[in-house]
Amino acid sequence: MLVTPKENKRPIPEPLNGTMAYIDGKPYAYEKGETMLQFIRRHLGSQLVPTLCDAPNLDPFGSCRVCSIEVATNASGPRKVVASCHTPLAPGMHLFPSSQKVQRLRKNILELVLTDHPLDCLTCEVNGNCELQHVAAQVGIREVRYPAGAQHTDRPKDLSHPYMVSDLSKCINCYRCVRACDEVQGQFVLTMAGRGFDAHIVKGADKQFLESDCVSCGACAQACPTSAISDVFQSKAILATSKTRTVCTYCGVGCNLEVATRGDHEILSIRAPYDAEVNHGHTCLKGRYAFQFYNHPERLRHPLIKRNGQFEEVTWEEAYHFITERLQAYLSDYGADAIAGISSSRCTNEENYLMQKFIRAVVGTNNIDGCARVCHSPTALGMQRTFGTGAATNSVEDLNHTNCILVIGANPTDAHPVTGARMKQKTMQGVTTIVIDPRETELAKYAHYHLQLRPGTNVAVLNMMMYFIVQEGLVDQQFIDQRTEGFQSFADALLNLDMDAMEAVSGVPRALVREAAIAYASAPNAMSFHGLGVTEHSQGTFTVMQIAELAMLTGNIGRPGVGVNPLRGQNNVQGSADMGVQPHQGAGYLDITREDVRNRYESYYGVELPRHVGYKIPEMFDAALQGKLKAIWIIGEDVVQTDPNTQKVIRALESIDLVVVQELFMTETAKYADVVLPASSFLEKSGTFTNGERRVQRVNQVIDPLPGTKPDGQIIAEVMQRMGYPQPDYSAPAVLEEIAGIVPFFAGIRWEELGTNGKQWPVSPDGVDSKIIHVESFKRGKGRFEFHGFEESRERSEFEKDYPYILTTNRELEHYNCGAMTRRTKNVEILTEDFLLIHPEDAVIHGIDTGDMVCVESPRGKVDIKAKLTHEVNPGVLSTTFHFPEIMVNNITSDVHDSEAKCPEYKVVSVRIRKSKGKYRQTVPV
Amino acid sequence: MSKNLSALSGRKGLEQGLFEQLGKLGETDGTPDPEQLEQLAQSFLIGTANTYGAATFYDFLRPENKGKQVYICNGSACLNAGTQFDVREQLSRVFPPDSIGEMCCLGRCHENSAFHYAGANYSGDAIENIESIVRGGSEVADHYRVTSIGQAILTQTDFPLEACTTAIQQVLQSNPENLLADIQRSGLRGRGGAGFPIGQKLAFCRQAEGDPKFIICNADEGDPGAYSDRYLLEHQPHRLLLGMLIAGYVTGAEWGVLYIRAEYPEAIRRVDQAIKDFYHSGLAGDKMLESGFGFRFKTIHARGAYICGEETALINSIEGQRPEVRVRPPYPAQSGLFGKPTVVNNVETLAALPTILLQGGSYYASIGTPASPGTKLLSLDGHFQKPGIYEVEMGTPLEAVINDAGGFRIPVKALHIGGPLGGLVPAQKFRTLTIDFESFTQAGFLLGHASILAIPHTMPLINYLADLFRFAAHESCGKCFPCRLGTKRAEELFTRAATGEQQIDPVLLDDLLFTLESGSLCAHGGGIPLPVRNAIQYFRQELEPFFKSETNYSDVSHS
Repeated sequence: MLVTPKENKRPIPEPLNGTMAYIDGKPYAYEKGETMLQFIRRHLGSQLVPTLCDAPNLDPFGSCRVCSIEVATNASGPRKVVASCHTPLAPGMHLFPSSQKVQRLRKNILELVLTDHPLDCLTCEVNGNCELQHVAAQVGIREVRYPAGAQHTDRPKDLSHPYMVSDLSKCINCYRCVRACDEVQGQFVLTMAGRGFDAHIVKGADKQFLESDCVSCGACAQACPTSAISDVFQSKAILATSKTRTVCTYCGVGCNLEVATRGDHEILSIRAPYDAEVNHGHTCLKGRYAFQFYNHPERLRHPLIKRNGQFEEVTWEEAYHFITERLQAYLSDYGADAIAGISSSRCTNEENYLMQKFIRAVVGTNNIDGCARVCHSPTALGMQRTFGTGAATNSVEDLNHTNCILVIGANPTDAHPVTGARMKQKTMQGVTTIVIDPRETELAKYAHYHLQLRPGTNVAVLNMMMYFIVQEGLVDQQFIDQRTEGFQSFADALLNLDMDAMEAVSGVPRALVREAAIAYASAPNAMSFHGLGVTEHSQGTFTVMQIAELAMLTGNIGRPGVGVNPLRGQNNVQGSADMGVQPHQGAGYLDITREDVRNRYESYYGVELPRHVGYKIPEMFDAALQGKLKAIWIIGEDVVQTDPNTQKVIRALESIDLVVVQELFMTETAKYADVVLPASSFLEKSGTFTNGERRVQRVNQVIDPLPGTKPDGQIIAEVMQRMGYPQPDYSAPAVLEEIAGIVPFFAGIRWEELGTNGKQWPVSPDGVDSKIIHVESFKRGKGRFEFHGFEESRERSEFEKDYPYILTTNRELEHYNCGAMTRRTKNVEILTEDFLLIHPEDAVIHGIDTGDMVCVESPRGKVDIKAKLTHEVNPGVLSTTFHFPEIMVNNITSDVHDSEAKCPEYKVVSVRIRKSKGKYRQTVPV
Repeated sequence: MSKNLSALSGRKGLEQGLFEQLGKLGETDGTPDPEQLEQLAQSFLIGTANTYGAATFYDFLRPENKGKQVYICNGSACLNAGTQFDVREQLSRVFPPDSIGEMCCLGRCHENSAFHYAGANYSGDAIENIESIVRGGSEVADHYRVTSIGQAILTQTDFPLEACTTAIQQVLQSNPENLLADIQRSGLRGRGGAGFPIGQKLAFCRQAEGDPKFIICNADEGDPGAYSDRYLLEHQPHRLLLGMLIAGYVTGAEWGVLYIRAEYPEAIRRVDQAIKDFYHSGLAGDKMLESGFGFRFKTIHARGAYICGEETALINSIEGQRPEVRVRPPYPAQSGLFGKPTVVNNVETLAALPTILLQGGSYYASIGTPASPGTKLLSLDGHFQKPGIYEVEMGTPLEAVINDAGGFRIPVKALHIGGPLGGLVPAQKFRTLTIDFESFTQAGFLLGHASILAIPHTMPLINYLADLFRFAAHESCGKCFPCRLGTKRAEELFTRAATGEQQIDPVLLDDLLFTLESGSLCAHGGGIPLPVRNAIQYFRQELEPFFKSETNYSDVSHS
């Protein structure tokens, strides 16, 4: 047969001439590429033409037909009815969006919809905020004339999932959930099943949400125009008294969130704004649903001082007095360098700035560092060495302009879910994707090339890639000549490499590396992303430099769709480094050993500043063990659970006289504190976060601070005051103004001008921001080539013989780092524990099956973890997470650090394994 | 339609296609089991939801099909002939009731009493021998009249392989631009129903960028009452393959895909054999006849869904997606199968191309009428004295066809021409129509694919219309609101009226038909009101008792 398209039988309408199109006879400016609906909405707003299946972040679909309008090629010509959402507009056309005919049509379609929809609006969750209800009222439905017929209003509800709920008797078959799951998240959990009148939404093969492959991103719930798919927070209900836009506290993507609240203390739900440039109406289960930690019973609500091994609740003044008295004593007895601070990348720019100012200007030492040390310090250092700036060269938006995505040592669909989902979309749609990772990550499954290397051999594989690019003559010689230095000796060194040896070392066939190298080098625009699988290695900084060199070699710098883009871990890890949370650079990455820089800072801070570089985090612990550190102040960082070699960290903390911890919860680290200060969460304060693409975005206070807590910035300011420094009372806008005066690339940033989508630094004094950097030249002048060969990590060369397996650590979607927050939400019902990924071939050797406990032993200690058999890892490689304190995987991670930036090598741990009974489930010192 | 699913399905391409594998999974039990669906989904990097969602769409893959052994034809010709009840009775003697399913339609409209068993179709007297058929008895031959009124083009004897070789040599020596111009000169219009000029479609595809390109033969002849494509597939397969190859040559396509309905097992066998013969003779493959041009053929076995005759639903089907209608643009010529430029044409259209190649576009254009050149195949059902496939020159009077067929066996009140979405032509209009697109359209009917079903005097029209909407609702893809809901409500209105339960509110019906006509995404919902409006216009007296009387129901005859 024989059904043929009814409308638009001509394949491509010939464009008419002109710059105008007409709505009800009035001319309006035509824009190429618009649909009729977009045109009407741009000129006359969104209310004129009602829609049901249309959504701002989905492709036109044409199922509801409610957007139908009449069109004609001239004012009095014959008209036809078309769906405006998917019909392209041509200039000169006449549109009649409200003719009698289309009004009749809309009303009749709505009447049909209501023949199969429960008519109990008053008791419905979305009453007052239901698109069906709204459109039905808009088109003027008074009654349903059809005699009662077949219906689907008795479908059972699905309440299986901690967050997602469905009540498909309310479904109108608009497919928005199906499309959101496909086009936004790319997860393919939802589909229509059956056909015709019996077509209905199912999850998987007609499963419940919890049994399905759902990743709980909530895109479907947000997309649903009724309450057919919703969430346990009833995010579409109109219960809120106010809505506040802010920025997510979890990863470095920096999703904008819209938080619905009732009163000054209660958070109801979170949605993702469609106009957010970062996340376009999308976010993940952490951003959208994992907020219930905010008033969890275990939130710290009083300052605590440990006396005789027990924490006692004290007043803020008691705590401040206790701390300042001791700090003053250490200052006079041991000097400023006996004190150190670890600031938090979860805190705002203003708070980080203030913390480093406190340590430098009030305490008088450069012993200030942050979690970037244990994640992206090699990125900052490596990119500074090669380019001059330690930040992403481009924006995530550039995925729309790239022809090749290179992902190295990153698992963005778990760790940066919104960016990961966008990459997956591009990969599925054919953008060449190369993944270099020891695990078969979600993205690797879809990628065109997966170089599944042995952990720790990034340098070998990237050198192989560059070798083939040079050998094949695919270098961008013009770019190299004009914008770089050191190429010739670099190329000579490359070409001297022994590919057989590199192939053997990395375990990746050279032919595959060559193909991937050619794909990257020959793409018109190639873009790289990297994560901790690059940095957390003994050669982390060198690997970052290689990635930068790969971009320079092929001229992939300075335009849309190219560049080097580290996927920054924490929400504000970019910002904390920008703000000077580093022992060698002050706010704005200025070298504190230079006198002119010091003079500059001193003129702002009004005190004399220390001249020598301070301790990096691992050096702080070493100093502590040597008795050189008397006090440490840690903000929002669980070093015990997340830093490598747990027992060493614990011994270090135990040997420090005064440990002050500013926290939300009694973390593993807080347990070793002498003073615990209860801080407010991101929902309870204002400030700015800087995401992984240098975007400074406003964090807006959503609710009052939990009683008993204070925002971190306020705590630091109050301590500074009590230490005798004339620091004004804490105010985020005022601190931001101070930062804009000191940090050159913040020069044009003004609190009130950041708007909803923020600005990407550098921001010039006139307020213009930068989506792409190094456009004309590099920050350091010429980009620098500097060859480094592969070197086996000491962790392997020393221990491989007795500890033959390589354990590498990673993250799961459901939890964030040490899990202090996510474990106190229902995320813990979705992923309940850490698992050890093991290849079936290895499992067989040790008689291990999925669910068995495995004792994993390294030269530092042993832990017991539940096994999960998978082909995600190669034989000989194991992988796990450290989200749960029950396991404390970092008891066994290594002491080896990146040779340059001192970032720990979490990614290569020599271990041996055996099936166990789970004795070492709790932490066991060696 | 999902761009992602198109792309992921396209990664594996046609050879081990998603839909083909899905179909095979259902062959043993009538429906795939969930574990198989999951494995298949994983191998394509898609969701189990996707394989499950697709499988549940098709009559012969959905869970309800589990355990079905034999299928009764429920097409309109068998309905009008009143043979279905008897066939079911007979089958029930041999098969448990829940192993008897339905198919629509087997294309045995010339002799009715049709059923499908174990991969073969039977009709006419075959049901008398059901026991021996089940014991593995011989297949029953299918005979019908094949004739032409005027020039015979498609009903000539099919090309032998040697003639195919010569023809392909001629193709390979010709300039594609010139050959395309000649096709455009012929004025050949699509025979699936829409009548779109094939030359223009081929030209769009030729200009479109993308690699590879596809020629799809739409052999999903789903209109109950139509079997002219079945005739061509079974008896003119070389002509068809040759036509596809010509289309491929002028567009630069590498693949010819034949999407053949499950209800035509014999057609699938014969086309597969013809393809095999083509490959054997070097008439298909990488470098045909040692030229630089390569063209491959692939048959896709449909699994029971009328909507797959709609070209975008058909493309979705081949990709293994749910065969729902896509929005246009993009048109298949720009972005079709796996997102690549694609031409979809009906069997009869493609089968006409060899004549244009061999005898020229001008020759073809000289046949028929200026606006509708060429010949058209008609399928005449068993109510004609001489049922069968009639090839007529466009412009031939309908009455001449009726006369040539010897008139009717029993009194007939109307002809339903052009499938379920075609018009209902009352007896008094037989004299006024000629077989061409324009004559039918101007008179308020539709030539469509030109199946001709006779509605006997004894068939109550209210029942016929109720059945029409049962069919329309059953075959709606369910994507657009007007068709998904409207065909179901119309089925309910007409069924209740037919049983005397409730009269139809004429104002409501008019609103409903208007909504289907002007709101539907494709011609399925958009076309179904036509025969209803025809019926109300021409059979007012018969239908009046089924309508509420307070309003003048004849208002419903015009939109």
